Amino acid sequence: MFNMGNKGLFALVLTLIMLTTFTSGAQEGESIFNSKCATCHQPHKDMTGPKLFEVRQKWEEGGAMEGSLHQWVRNWQVAAATDPYAKEVSSWAASSMTTFADLTDEQIEAVFDYVDAQPKEEAVTPGDTGGNSGTSTPVEEESLGWVWYVLGAVFLVLIISLGGTKRQLQEMDEDNDSYIKVGSKAWIFKNRKYVGMGVLVVVMAGVVWLFLGLYQIGVVTAYQPSQPIAFPHDVHAGINGIDCKYCHNSANKSKTAGIPTTNVCMNCHKQVQGEGDQVEKIKKIYASAGYSPEGGGKYSGETENIVWNKVHNLPDHVYFNHSQHVEIGGIDCKQCHGDMTKQNALPRVVPVEELNEIEGNIQLTKPTLTMGWCIECHSEKEVSTGSLEGKGGYYDEIHKRLLENDESLYEEYLEDGKVTVSELGGWECAKCHY
Amino acid sequence: MKKNFKAISTKALALTFGIGTLFSCVSDKDSPGLEWMPDMYRSPAVETYVDYGWVKEEVNPEAVMKQSAKHPPLATIPYQGKVEDLEMYLPYHRKASSFAAVTHGLQEKDGWRLTTEEGDAEYNAAAADKNPIQLTEDNQKSIFSDGKELYEINCAHCHGEDGDGKGSMVQSGAYAGVPDYSNLKDLPDGQLFYSIYYGKGMMGAHAPLLNKKEIWTVVHYINKLRFEDYGAATPQKVETDTTVVVEDTVQ
Repeated sequence: MFNMGNKGLFALVLTLIMLTTFTSGAQEGESIFNSKCATCHQPHKDMTGPKLFEVRQKWEEGGAMEGSLHQWVRNWQVAAATDPYAKEVSSWAASSMTTFADLTDEQIEAVFDYVDAQPKEEAVTPGDTGGNSGTSTPVEEESLGWVWYVLGAVFLVLIISLGGTKRQLQEMDEDNDSYIKVGSKAWIFKNRKYVGMGVLVVVMAGVVWLFLGLYQIGVVTAYQPSQPIAFPHDVHAGINGIDCKYCHNSANKSKTAGIPTTNVCMNCHKQVQGEGDQVEKIKKIYASAGYSPEGGGKYSGETENIVWNKVHNLPDHVYFNHSQHVEIGGIDCKQCHGDMTKQNALPRVVPVEELNEIEGNIQLTKPTLTMGWCIECHSEKEVSTGSLEGKGGYYDEIHKRLLENDESLYEEYLEDGKVTVSELGGWECAKCHY
Repeated sequence: MKKNFKAISTKALALTFGIGTLFSCVSDKDSPGLEWMPDMYRSPAVETYVDYGWVKEEVNPEAVMKQSAKHPPLATIPYQGKVEDLEMYLPYHRKASSFAAVTHGLQEKDGWRLTTEEGDAEYNAAAADKNPIQLTEDNQKSIFSDGKELYEINCAHCHGEDGDGKGSMVQSGAYAGVPDYSNLKDLPDGQLFYSIYYGKGMMGAHAPLLNKKEIWTVVHYINKLRFEDYGAATPQKVETDTTVVVEDTVQ
């Protein structure tokens, strides 16, 4: 009895020791895997290196020599020289594996134990959080709702007046049947009050409509051209938090903001292959970059262009420079392009009403991308001395010279508490037109 | 009577529909709407991202739908800034590994220079390269702030703001396998530069996004993330030293 208890205690202690050693081994495997292997290998997915799940069984079944897998981890070239299976494995990808000569057998086994213990997730979810792209919210068209109210009122007046005319005619009809036969001219003359009013209303409505229409010429806020790939900005800039200037790389360096070439897309999409309707879209990137994701990924070198449709198009007589506004002026992208971190639908020219709702934006009234909109902003935006620290101090110098040359003018400028772009010449025609 | 009523109403309707159709094309999302001077929006003047295959009525079949944002001619040096920085804009003296054409899409026809040797010889040799931007007490503050700006635009979404490999892309679950810089403390500056320039593993080449000066600036900032006390010799010590010397000479 005593003996039995002793044995039981012994067994308990033994299992405890085994458990602790096992868990510490798994922990070691995890930390080694994360620090040394995870850059290229995943348990269930081919990346730069092949997936590692049950790789020991795979090598055994493939007919690898005993110990050559460990040799491979320490120095793959030695393994490939001695074992034909390892040689075969070395042709899996063009790039070669880093050598880890200082790993012991126990450590390597711990890594494989850790990897094999990873649950086989059916849906490893790269970009799954952005899977809502199928349910794109319809973009509101800029509505001229009040025009319809005006027109409705006009038609109502028209109908009532015509109805009145009709009733009068009917009354007359009862008086004199022959009256109608006199002809329309006489009828118009007889009812000239009503007809005149009706015509006036119609003409006025026409004129109003014409002018409203003329004001719409050159206003492009309904423009949302179709694109070769329905690119969801909200997934990239919103959920995944990529800076606008990573892809639109020249926005702070050049006149144009730049449409990213597909090699920029490939910096992430080499790994992110998407799921659902994303797969087809990402395949278009692969086709453009000449990439096939099989076997660790291979570029063929045969590239093709993706032809995007330009959304923000200014006429040729307008000079607009992105770097001047982004880098020197320190204007946030969302001031003109809206909050792209929430834009699920295709890119478009965002109406000024929506731009005004964004926190931190300068409030403007004229339609987006019109000249009125530009100069309105130039008269609102403050050019401060402090915002240009480390950018050459050009505007510091302007402020200084203003103060030296004509202090009263400078004070006049500062009456509203700020020196604006227009006060520094931002309304000069030749700033934008030359 | 009915006839008159009909005539008036049809005329009124026709007029309103006529004017309406004049402007109704605005609601087509693929059309920018009416423009005052359409030829000013698509003119023969050279602008980026304009299709020069079709200008006005003239069609040039060779240029239709071809890329209008061109590469600079091969072997030209994009030079900007100061004369002292000129060396920064000369081509990188290390070539990409021969397999980079397959693994990273660096094709020789696009101007990438590849070695003919097998393996990672150039990458290993890059370990000896030193950062040409010298950190001094005067410039280190601006270099670190420039580096931070560049890092946050180009690197932080994967590598994390603190370089821990937990950027927003990793946290959202879209991307995996980004190393923690604290595990890469013995990686030399030269290889850091080489990896950013030509790409490594899953990371693509970032030379199209950053020029050499910018990459070396980012390397300084990454070192600051990797090593807590990275920087030029701490300024306070030197200042107190010099004041002591001055006082000594005065006395």
